[in-house]
Amino acid sequence: MSRLINIKIDGKNIQANEGANLLQVAHDSGIKIPSLCYHKKLTPTGACRLCVTKIKGTNGLVMSCTVSVKEGMEIIAFDEEIEETRKHILDYLLAEHNDHYDGTYHDEFREWLIHYGLDKHENRKYPNISKTLNYKIDDSSPVLTYDASKCIKCFRCIKGCDEVQGKNVLSFSERGITSYIIAGFDQWNESECDGCGECIQLCPTGALVEKPHRDEIQLENLEKKVVTTCPYCGVGCQLELTVQDGKIVRSDGVEGVLPNDGRLCVKGRFGYDYVHSKERLTTPLIKRDGKFVEASWDEALDLIATKFTEIKEKYGHDALAGYSSAKCTNEDNYLFQKFIRVVFGTNNIDYCTRLCHASTVTAMLKSIGDGAGSNSIEDFATTDCLFVTGNNIIETHPVTATYVKNGKYAGKKIIVCDPKWTPLVKYADIWLQPRLGTDVALLNGMIHAIIKEDLIDPDFIEKRVDRGMEAYEELKQLVEKYTPEKTEEITSVPKEKIIEAARMYARAKTAMIATGMGLSQQVTGTNNVFSLINMMMITGQIGKERAGIDPPRGQNNVQGATDVGCSPIIYPGYIPITNEKNRKRIAKLWSVDFEALSGKPGLTTVEIMNAAYDEKIKGMYIMGENPMLTDPDLNHTEKALNKLDFLVIQDIFHTETTPFADVILPAASFAEKEGTFVNSDRRVIRVRKAVESPGEARDDWKIIVDIAEKMGYSLGDYNTESEIFDEIAQAAPIMAGISYDRIEHQGIQWPCPDKNHSGTSTLFLEKFNTPNGKGILNPVEYIPQSEQTSKEFPFILNSGRILYHYHTSTMSRRNKSLTDFANESYVLMNPGDVIKFDLTDGDKVKLTSKQGELVTALQASDQVAEGELFMPWHYSEAPVNRLTRGDLDPFSKIAAFKLTACRVEKFVS
Amino acid sequence: MERSEVLKQFKPDHENMLNILHALQNNNSQNYLSEEDLKIAASYLNTTYSHIYGVATYYTMFSLKPRGKYIIRVCNSPVCNMENSTKVIEEIKKNLSIEVGETTDDMRFTLELSECLGKCEEAPGMMINEDVVGNLDNVDFKSIFDNYN
Repeated sequence: MSRLINIKIDGKNIQANEGANLLQVAHDSGIKIPSLCYHKKLTPTGACRLCVTKIKGTNGLVMSCTVSVKEGMEIIAFDEEIEETRKHILDYLLAEHNDHYDGTYHDEFREWLIHYGLDKHENRKYPNISKTLNYKIDDSSPVLTYDASKCIKCFRCIKGCDEVQGKNVLSFSERGITSYIIAGFDQWNESECDGCGECIQLCPTGALVEKPHRDEIQLENLEKKVVTTCPYCGVGCQLELTVQDGKIVRSDGVEGVLPNDGRLCVKGRFGYDYVHSKERLTTPLIKRDGKFVEASWDEALDLIATKFTEIKEKYGHDALAGYSSAKCTNEDNYLFQKFIRVVFGTNNIDYCTRLCHASTVTAMLKSIGDGAGSNSIEDFATTDCLFVTGNNIIETHPVTATYVKNGKYAGKKIIVCDPKWTPLVKYADIWLQPRLGTDVALLNGMIHAIIKEDLIDPDFIEKRVDRGMEAYEELKQLVEKYTPEKTEEITSVPKEKIIEAARMYARAKTAMIATGMGLSQQVTGTNNVFSLINMMMITGQIGKERAGIDPPRGQNNVQGATDVGCSPIIYPGYIPITNEKNRKRIAKLWSVDFEALSGKPGLTTVEIMNAAYDEKIKGMYIMGENPMLTDPDLNHTEKALNKLDFLVIQDIFHTETTPFADVILPAASFAEKEGTFVNSDRRVIRVRKAVESPGEARDDWKIIVDIAEKMGYSLGDYNTESEIFDEIAQAAPIMAGISYDRIEHQGIQWPCPDKNHSGTSTLFLEKFNTPNGKGILNPVEYIPQSEQTSKEFPFILNSGRILYHYHTSTMSRRNKSLTDFANESYVLMNPGDVIKFDLTDGDKVKLTSKQGELVTALQASDQVAEGELFMPWHYSEAPVNRLTRGDLDPFSKIAAFKLTACRVEKFVS
Repeated sequence: MERSEVLKQFKPDHENMLNILHALQNNNSQNYLSEEDLKIAASYLNTTYSHIYGVATYYTMFSLKPRGKYIIRVCNSPVCNMENSTKVIEEIKKNLSIEVGETTDDMRFTLELSECLGKCEEAPGMMINEDVVGNLDNVDFKSIFDNYN
């Protein structure tokens, strides 16, 4: 903590932290010293010189943005001479500046010009020479335009790109009066710029402006600005949506609020167009004679109620099942699981979390008692060592990655473990590139090295690990054979690197682990994470701040949907359904008979589809999920969906799955609803309505309540989403202290057990959530993958995500900004293999596995090792999951999306 | 020399950026930094394109356009200017049929201007690659240029 000191600005006494930035102290105290190049997120630049002040004891004028405050400092911020100087500086800047203003952006420069009367030409001293300088315009980027004639060379964009986003894409070209900002080799669209738009948000003059909706935006006609939460990944960025004529026309990051503090990625800033897509579902549709026809809500809901009731009566409760949605709010999901449990009378409820982090959660629940991330997103910047494994964090969680990069530039260590090159490798101290599916061996090898070098934390093991050193000895014995040489043989990672990584992780004062789909989506998924947790436990890299394990969540509300009970085995707040005491409590809360709530664990996502295939599940209610692209082995899913007697799908668009539905219900998008999401660091954050839903589309929760009513059940008498959340807080003790009024400005991280609790930024500081409070070691052997290459299928295919698309791209591909960056499927193959198999970069190729086949474009790339392939899975025209298999991890039931043996041939049409 | 061979002479540290760019330019048969040169420098230094480009455009000793085998740099600093370097420039332009910044069709000569060469006692002066040529008041440029093939 820095010391509080006293300073005086223009005679006003001000208390400030010693060493704080003078300009910021002045601004915080309501003294508006003019400035342009300064931004509180960035290091001071001192380029514009507008913030000049006089400091007693110092000669001349001093730029306040470059001064740190000291005790007793006396500052003059405004007098005639200073103001005259500022006016002169502005006038000078103006001489090289194109001051045309089109009313589409916030122009700080223009505001100061008006303030000093320089908007009037007669008040200017210098002639304008901007036209003679032949400044260029770079209009090549899909999302922004740079006009050098409006640039005052303040460095904000460059520093935003460097210091905030950690990308370093921008620089100056030329020098002196002709200098200007460049990306790449002076051509924005061919540069490394990924379109996050941080520079646009920071630009004070309109030199950098966004492209989408520029011709529509008129700030004077602005309707409102609405703060809400981003609908893409699980970072939970706070957005400020600008609404004009009932339409979203701009999205900015909200400064000063966690988790993102103004930062956004390209999807958060430019991915909102889908909300207003003409392809939105606007009316209920009923399938008649194989064709969908428009229907009234009453008609559709009556049919649904009749059919679901018929199935329940004829085949029993467990013949019905539901998929809830990681894209919907907690309120929607809470009522969905309540519907499945109360109205269907079954626990057959699951959703896509089963397909992504089920194994992570299973291993974490068993070892440490909680499946959520232990730390906060901003901790990624301050932990001393970050171990990123099977997690392409720059592309999948771009804003969390900005914190990772901030850490890198502050001297923190990064270890990347991934069979495929990811952009984070550029920032990493060590890149471990194991063969696909050899993670357990690699981690056991690292544990072996840690033990051999005596880098364990015996004190932590004694105090925090179940059975202490005895359990450790068992692990030690198991990893004995994973010598560096043996581990290298299995994984192909050089033994020196294994030892170096083990040392770096274990020796760090604090270390965090970011694990992802690469580790979880294998038949050994749970074992992989057990192994990871073993390494974390014996080194004591958990149970303190900035240490732990964090599986960043893939979707906006994948955390929340499970938190509120969308799981076949738990109720809201992670209480097992088999816990009768809780079931009684819930029955009372829901005003239903205890006996009406099934105590039998339900089926998981893939099991539900298998049961449909076996004709045991007859009716399904799917809210905002698209199994015809997300499920493994899609040919199997297709057959299963065809066998259902009745399928209801509630969504915002037609998807690859809606053709199989009997009734399709149009729902509201994130921008049209009130509610909450829970992000990756357990933060309960508000979602707010910005625009009206199109046509007859309705809020998901209202549809659920209505179907229940038509089936003769009341889910509750809710007037607002806030009332639903209050019930969630009663059902889930981890959220008991949270209500809308408390999260108006910034979200709260659960557990938050009561109204006076401020939330929990780090888990497990004192104990684990296991029955005895101790962490459990689960030593696991490396088992070679069941899926192996053969003569017929010589490659192992890996799949994953890319920055510009999200999930099944139902939303992301309906944004021109995003499709301009990426819109075509491809498969990556090592250049050596391309030659070996007589193929050429760019070829159309057919990929075939035991399960199916697809056609895509070949890209030669050393991002993948020989014998391995990689494909993004977002593209429905080349659906990777036609190839994947339905083999499950026995513990978590997650499917093996990451490893599919296949062959590649040149495609001949 | 292969570009990778050129790079091997330097450690991949940012402090070597200027040396690397000079070495790549000298290695380029057309006396300039091609996009390939810039890309390989960025990759070797694990930095972004704009950082390399920014440096390459800041310093006048780097060129991003192909240049002749010989670069003529006529000093245009005050002393040479007072000794009529303007006339020298005009004569060279006429002799080679190119403007300042241009290259002869046969890719032999590129004409550039330079700050002080430190040879004021021989003003007006110029450099042809590494050679300094002074006292250019009344010389036969053709015979000088004929020495450079």
